[in-house]
Amino acid sequence: LCMVAVCGAIPITDLLDRASQHSDKLHSLSTILTQELDSHFPPIGRVIMPRPSMCHTSSLETPTDKDQALQVSEANLMSLARSLLQAWMDPLVVLSTSAHTLPHPSRNSIFNKVQELQEHSKNLGDGLNIVSGKMDPMAQTISYLPYSNNIGQDKISKLTNFQFLLSCFRRDSHKIDSFLKVLRCRAAKMQPHLC
Amino acid sequence: MLLLLVVTLHARGTRYSPPGKPALTSCRSPEKETFTCWWKPGSDGGLPTTYALHYRKENSDTVYECPDYHTAGENSCFFNKNDTSIWVNYNITVVATNKLGSTFSDPVDIDVVYIVQPNPPEKVSVTLMEDRGMPFLRVSWEPPRKADTRSGWITLIYEIRIKLDGENDWEMHPAGQQKLFNIFGLRSGGTYLVQVRCKPDHGFWSEWSSTSYIRFPDYFQREKSVWIL
Repeated sequence: LCMVAVCGAIPITDLLDRASQHSDKLHSLSTILTQELDSHFPPIGRVIMPRPSMCHTSSLETPTDKDQALQVSEANLMSLARSLLQAWMDPLVVLSTSAHTLPHPSRNSIFNKVQELQEHSKNLGDGLNIVSGKMDPMAQTISYLPYSNNIGQDKISKLTNFQFLLSCFRRDSHKIDSFLKVLRCRAAKMQPHLC
Repeated sequence: MLLLLVVTLHARGTRYSPPGKPALTSCRSPEKETFTCWWKPGSDGGLPTTYALHYRKENSDTVYECPDYHTAGENSCFFNKNDTSIWVNYNITVVATNKLGSTFSDPVDIDVVYIVQPNPPEKVSVTLMEDRGMPFLRVSWEPPRKADTRSGWITLIYEIRIKLDGENDWEMHPAGQQKLFNIFGLRSGGTYLVQVRCKPDHGFWSEWSSTSYIRFPDYFQREKSVWIL
């Protein structure tokens, strides 16, 4: 998002605006990827796909509707967004590595998009480190959500687990994006035309 | 017992049967806070048939019945704020029942965040403006009343379309998050039709708003006549 030395001068409103542009892109990319993968997805995959509660981030308690989300403090919203993002650093590497050998006709395009996801996630993570440093110390708290599953060997489990992992990422990137956009509007209270 | 009933009904010379399979046709949330699902009934088997919608939320085995069959009209189920969670999958099934039995629809899995389609923008107004003798149109509007854009819960972008009365093709203008848009370079004379629609950051375009009409002046002709004089 910006270098530490330069960021000091940039108002938090602008930083959050840039952050939410990244998170917006992150979620949109994951949606495109999901659709691309869906075009050649074995029907059995839908049956054996794990339930969303199996996502490695599902233990993190997050709001489940607007009223809940709007009651969460700014520092806590930031902490949730950063915890989720942090939890995806390792699994995104797994996605990237396995995209290479994915038994899918569009694997090159899928690989490139996963690389883009990694890049955007890293940039967003760096940016949020800076923004959270300007907030209540609570914003620095990161919940540790380890990822340990692997993608599998045979064709069907490779595709199914890849798609499952992506569906988890898609949901989490939507959460991150929603939290950051709420934060952006709270910071922009003085400039109501933004929201 | 059921067989006996079928036989009896057939004996009277009319073909009765259990209901045909209903189908869930769509689910939509206008603001990421409530949602509605609609279904299409199958055949009624010649008998009075009732429909029920059942749902189960991810992480729970409890099956609930639709909380409100009335608000969104026939063959629909409305979930108000208290019944709507996001980032949670709903597994939804419709069951049709008559005297001879029940038929279930295929189940559908939805997460409310992926079915957001707002209502159209409201209070669309078009005003004739002038800048150094050049007339232009200023279009302004408000977000749909239900969408809470102020808190950032939903972010909307807008698109405007305009055409001369009687023409076929609309001219499109993306407006981003702005709620005000100036249109320059219009041909003089005639009535213009203007509509606006909106799309959430992650979701589907709304329908177009109702049409606003505005009469655009014959400014070139006036200028020309002045010049000849």
